[in-house]
Amino acid sequence: MNNLWIHTGLFVLVSSVIVAISCMFADSDDRAALRSFPRRWLSFMGGCLLVVAVMLVLEHTFASIH
Amino acid sequence: MAFDTESAPTRPQAKAGDPMVALLLTWFVPGAGHAYLGRMGFALIAFVVIEGLYLAGVMFSHGMFLEYLPAEMRSRFAPALTPEAGNLGALLLHIKQYGYGAPFPRPWPSHMDLGTALTAISGFFNVILMSRAHFDARHPVRESGKPVGPALAAGLCWVIPGLGQFVQGRKLRGILIAVLLVGLFASACVLAEGANLDRERHFYYWAGQSMLGLSAYVAEFAHGHPLLTELPLRVDAGVVIGCVAGLLNILVMLDAYGYSEAKYLGTDPPRSAKSRAKLEAEAKAQAEADASVESKVETEVPA
Repeated sequence: MNNLWIHTGLFVLVSSVIVAISCMFADSDDRAALRSFPRRWLSFMGGCLLVVAVMLVLEHTFASIH
Repeated sequence: MAFDTESAPTRPQAKAGDPMVALLLTWFVPGAGHAYLGRMGFALIAFVVIEGLYLAGVMFSHGMFLEYLPAEMRSRFAPALTPEAGNLGALLLHIKQYGYGAPFPRPWPSHMDLGTALTAISGFFNVILMSRAHFDARHPVRESGKPVGPALAAGLCWVIPGLGQFVQGRKLRGILIAVLLVGLFASACVLAEGANLDRERHFYYWAGQSMLGLSAYVAEFAHGHPLLTELPLRVDAGVVIGCVAGLLNILVMLDAYGYSEAKYLGTDPPRSAKSRAKLEAEAKAQAEADASVESKVETEVPA
């Protein structure tokens, strides 16, 4: 469980930097880039959660050992 | 913003050419693109600097950097993913001359790390030069008094992430980028206890994190190549996060390049669709307000 929290923390750290740099790349206006950060971060996290869900379903269906 | 090129003082005129030809020539022979554009002095200096770096690297490493790859990864196209591929002509000659080395393990030369860093830096510098050749072919007249050029702005981001934006006058953005990327890279080094700073151990991840530029090389020569009896607990996380920081710096370089290019060409800098729509709405509202003021003045003035 300890590992889960550490990995979640690292993921949040890295995803925040990825989204922040993407915001700045997408918009040359600093204020607009900063304003778009929360929306883009939520979209990014939502997309990642979706990928996690698909991977878990695939793992449970095709790769679990009974 | 249109720029008056007729009244501005200019450097000596260079010959405009096909941007793709200039770029490809530079890829194979550093400076050849600028020689094609008629800038022989610049071409000669670029050739000497970039090929000199590669040659010094080969001398220090005895041409052994591809021997870092384990036997099962030594495919025909494996060198294409190295930073040296930015200086393609030199890399092809290197492969022809040294290949994957002897079929048995050999001790590394004493300055192997410095040598492989220099060949990689040569590749990065040539990519910056390629972007410069491409821009110079499209925009041969260089006005004085204009902001820093696109290739130089991108190259400054290689020195310190965000430095290009800072020099462009976008100081908040520059500082934010430097803090985010250097901070992320530092946390990666802490997690991996410096084990990520070693090309021999993590050949391709090292290539990714070296995109961060000078900061990554300084960290490597200050804290890299640790002697370990076992790998640190979170080395995988450190290696991946360091690589992510380096790859994100490519976006930062492109941002700096795009902004300066837009300033030079007199076009609008890159904006998101939402931001552009907001600007257009503001411009439209302003135009309507101006029109209503004009019509009001016309009605008030007696015929």
